[in-house]
Amino acid sequence: MNSNIWLLTFADAISIATTLILASLGAILTERSGVINLGVEGMLLMGAVTGFVVADSSGNLWLALLVSVLVGVVLSAVHAALTIGLRANQIVSGLAMVIFGTGLSQFIGKPVEGLPRPVIIRPLNFGALSDIPILGPVVFGHDLFTYLTWLLAAGLSFYLHRTRPGLLLRATGDAPATVDAQGGSVARIRWMHVIAGGALMSFAGAWYMFARAAAWSQAATTNGIGWIALALVVFASWRPLRAIGGAVLFGFTLQVPFTLQAEQISILPPTIVAMFPYLVTLAVLVALSTPRARRLLGAPKLLGQPFVRDER
Amino acid sequence: MSQAGRAVAPALVARGITKRFPGVVANDSVNFDVARGEVHTLLGENGAGKSTLASVLCGLYRPEEGQLLRNGAEIRLNSPRDGLSQGIAMVHQHFRLVDRFTVAENVVLGHKSLSFVLDNAAIEERVASITQEFGLPLDPRAVVGELSAGERQRVEIVKALYQGAELLLLDEPTALLAPPEVEKLFITVRAMTHAGKSVVFVSHKLGEVVDISDRITVMRAGKVTGSVRRGDADVRRLAELMVGREINIVPRRAKSPTSDVLLSISQVHLEREGAEILTDINLEGRAGEIVGVSGVAGNGQRDLAEVVAGLRMPQRGNVTVCGVPTSRAGALGARRAGLAYVPEDRLGTGLAPSLSMVDNLVLTRKRGFIVDRKSALRESEGFIRQLEIKTPGPLTPTRKLSGGNAQKVLLARELFAVSGARVLIVCSPTRGLDVGAVEAVHALLDEARDAGKAILMISEDLDEVMTLADRVMVLYRGRITLEQAGIDADLDRIGRAMAGLAS
Amino acid sequence: MIVFGRRVRMEQRLTTPSSLLVVVPVLSVLFALVVGGVFLALTGHPPIGTYLDLLDNGYTSFYGITDTLGLATPLVCTGLSAAFAFRMNLYSIGQEGQMYLGMIGGTWAGIVLADALPTAIAVPVVLCCGALSGAAWVALPALLRARLGTSEIVSTLLLNYVALNLVNYFIFGSTGFFRDPTTSFPQGRTVSENARLSPLSFFTDKVTNTYPTFVIAVVLAVSLFWLMKVSNYGYETTVYADSPNTARYAGMNSTWLQSSVLLISGALAGVGGAMYVVGPAGKVDPGLLQIGLGYAGIVVAALARYNFVAVILAAVLFAGLRTGGNALQASSDPVPIAIAVVLQGAVLLFALGGELFRRNKVTIVRVKQAVA
Repeated sequence: MNSNIWLLTFADAISIATTLILASLGAILTERSGVINLGVEGMLLMGAVTGFVVADSSGNLWLALLVSVLVGVVLSAVHAALTIGLRANQIVSGLAMVIFGTGLSQFIGKPVEGLPRPVIIRPLNFGALSDIPILGPVVFGHDLFTYLTWLLAAGLSFYLHRTRPGLLLRATGDAPATVDAQGGSVARIRWMHVIAGGALMSFAGAWYMFARAAAWSQAATTNGIGWIALALVVFASWRPLRAIGGAVLFGFTLQVPFTLQAEQISILPPTIVAMFPYLVTLAVLVALSTPRARRLLGAPKLLGQPFVRDER
Repeated sequence: MSQAGRAVAPALVARGITKRFPGVVANDSVNFDVARGEVHTLLGENGAGKSTLASVLCGLYRPEEGQLLRNGAEIRLNSPRDGLSQGIAMVHQHFRLVDRFTVAENVVLGHKSLSFVLDNAAIEERVASITQEFGLPLDPRAVVGELSAGERQRVEIVKALYQGAELLLLDEPTALLAPPEVEKLFITVRAMTHAGKSVVFVSHKLGEVVDISDRITVMRAGKVTGSVRRGDADVRRLAELMVGREINIVPRRAKSPTSDVLLSISQVHLEREGAEILTDINLEGRAGEIVGVSGVAGNGQRDLAEVVAGLRMPQRGNVTVCGVPTSRAGALGARRAGLAYVPEDRLGTGLAPSLSMVDNLVLTRKRGFIVDRKSALRESEGFIRQLEIKTPGPLTPTRKLSGGNAQKVLLARELFAVSGARVLIVCSPTRGLDVGAVEAVHALLDEARDAGKAILMISEDLDEVMTLADRVMVLYRGRITLEQAGIDADLDRIGRAMAGLAS
Repeated sequence: MIVFGRRVRMEQRLTTPSSLLVVVPVLSVLFALVVGGVFLALTGHPPIGTYLDLLDNGYTSFYGITDTLGLATPLVCTGLSAAFAFRMNLYSIGQEGQMYLGMIGGTWAGIVLADALPTAIAVPVVLCCGALSGAAWVALPALLRARLGTSEIVSTLLLNYVALNLVNYFIFGSTGFFRDPTTSFPQGRTVSENARLSPLSFFTDKVTNTYPTFVIAVVLAVSLFWLMKVSNYGYETTVYADSPNTARYAGMNSTWLQSSVLLISGALAGVGGAMYVVGPAGKVDPGLLQIGLGYAGIVVAALARYNFVAVILAAVLFAGLRTGGNALQASSDPVPIAIAVVLQGAVLLFALGGELFRRNKVTIVRVKQAVA
């Protein structure tokens, strides 16, 4: 075992974290507006499969990414219509999105199952910079979207905390009645952010497809990454920048089983090691729900509750 | 008009406003106007329609009929935002603030002319200048969740002023304030009228509005029943206009209670997360008396009630109910010892809102493996007849009942259905009820008192405490700072104690 | 929102007309069929013909309906499990994993205990062990929820993935207790014959895929319905679900209520897994991992509006989609089985939207001018 393996695992973790960051940024935007979308897993799958199918028939990465973003928009619009418009239970609606998205992605992906990726997102070429020890693979070994994702996290952080619509968004999750009384439209703010969030989630799936997955397979493409992204939102205490750190941590746990397998290190059977990311996520969730941690977290106050204007 | 001689149109005129809600006409052809620089008070009992009128004036409600004129020109308001663009703003009784935001963030939230990127320093400066101009001491950087009720109200007022309000509607602004804080509010109101702004003061507290108002308009049952100018205001006359009949101010009964101590609280001390909530509380409740505990909201009233009810365990001290120590016995233990509890939050704590009256009567009974709903059904039918509870039937969910009828269900259970309960805690028993219901609830409490129960009544409504209690206490920052017999209760001293100014 | 001078107005209903209790689910299914039809048409399958095939293969033919009832058996259990938790506002979505554990626990009992017992005792023992294992699998999330308030949604879900890998470990990753030692082919060790029930023949000489466990599942659903209606436990959970503050006020123990509801929910899903052992499988069978009966249980529960008796009907409906879908996949013009899952998801989405109409009277009104 050489230390290089762990360095590469770490670099891989940073790369895989891109999906987690994108998905959890989407969830943060959604939840900050007071709506929970548990359908992340379904969104990821749908983004991945539609991207794959479009790329397969057109060979155009950009078109594929665009279509998968649009799919995310449509799916999250369904969630928004159900939960904001029809005031359906957000949790059940989110689960329905998971089930619906899983089924539909299998249906759509059936013809392309097992085919190799038609296009691949490759790391940028930084020339000699990539050869710098440690810094090379960790900082300069990634593709364009990974860097853009970091920028996006910073941008969203600025948006949330330093801009007028960000202020309104935070208020909508905490005190929708206040926003309503100010003449803001709670429904419009929620619609916009649920949809923007959905677009990010499904883009996360498409990116994963083209940058990380080997092929589309119906069962194992996302493997619960969507759920880990949801746990990550809590871990990041609904702050975009903190999602990066958490995503790298979770990305590491996702990557370790692969490294162990690739290096044929068999401390434990692979099926046991495969439980590792979920158990770590669970442990983190538990640590975050101690009363002390809870005080520091600050979830949007009225998360998950439909807003109905009180007219006697 | 106070601006004598000049033919200036009033700042706002409402003509023939009618607003209906399912089953009620909240405003019935109401006329109302307010001039520049004037304080015009809307006075009326709960449910008289004054808050509805204020909501119409600020654009929150759209009336079915009627007309609004702003400075002589007709306007149409479809939302509070329209109201704001006309310079009309309302400060609601329940503050609409974001607890996690700072004062400055709350003030600018939703403001139209705000730049896309927030310039916090400039905003804070602007907020500070408004607070200074109108005598509203506030730190723009303070987090609203940590402010007192009075300070939060100031935030609401600053917010309205920041948005350029020329006409402010204050809905029950003194409800949550201790008397000295009311004085501060009045100073601000005067500063605003001096600056040419108009203030509409919505209140049901007769006593305090006489001083501040230039005019008082009284409403009852959705209609205007009269209007008086400063100087002509006669408290008795106003009270009659409010209630619609002659008022007899009943002298406090001087029946001496028996000496049986049924409830005793000694040296109770409660902490939560390191903060002291209740300090050294000593209190006795005797058979046949009502002990009234008053105070400004948030001074430990609720915690006191919960400690006695067994829902919270004090760190030190003892509570005994009918001789049985209950401070460690939990809610069930306290009930078994003979305690009944009517919490402030009727639907949501005292009653399960989606459950029927029958199921709610079962709540505090001892239940076997199978729940006996048959006898509860008979009991409900009895209560519906005796207490004249208006409900479609005993199986209707309690949330469909009006506040007064829900309270009757709750009182029926706690006073009569629970066998052997001799000690009763009631919290704000008439909050939000209309006049008729208030009388019915007070009558029930008096009846229970005369039947020899010991009643601990915790209420922020000083009038209620003064009319019902045989002994009056004031709770301030978790301590009992004043205790007086009901007959010689001195309003002035009580007010000072509520504000923490007692010696 | 005002469109063409008209506005949608909603009023809370005081009472729900009983006709709507039927109309809303039926319409949900119809709308879902339309959505599925669009996807079928887009992928070149004739919708109506496909649906007729689905109907025949899922519900109306002898083997269709008996296959469906067999598949519905564990689904009733996971549906009950989800309904039991969801009606308490506890959103446990761990039915999938709890069902696997029920299968593992049931198999353990079937191998270790059943040999010495007659079938009449061995089967209940296996089912009970399944229930206990399912409950044990939710014990940690239940404890966390009741003690620390940790969201049960994510914790139960994460454990599904752990359970899935656990089954894989027993069969593919190791050669331990649950692995059949007699073959090199990775498959589970079979339980004692005493722990198995033979399929129902429905008065024919045909061998069906419906087992007597279906009857047990139905009895379970009906008795749960009745017990929760009349018992004190049912009463306390109803109060708690409606208003936790009221429950606390009345001295109910919220820690006990929350954790016991989650444990019972886990037990119900576990029984479903054990029924799979007693019935068709007879061993730890990774085949169960492919069907997603746990997740489908959530859909079934939501469609049944958490009513335990309605869960039976919803489960049969859903199982039929699945068996019908299986037959379609195997037909000459194969339709991916995923169409069944698409239909399930769509039914749930429409049923959710339909809730609004059940709770509110929705009318479209002409907007009157505010100030005349």
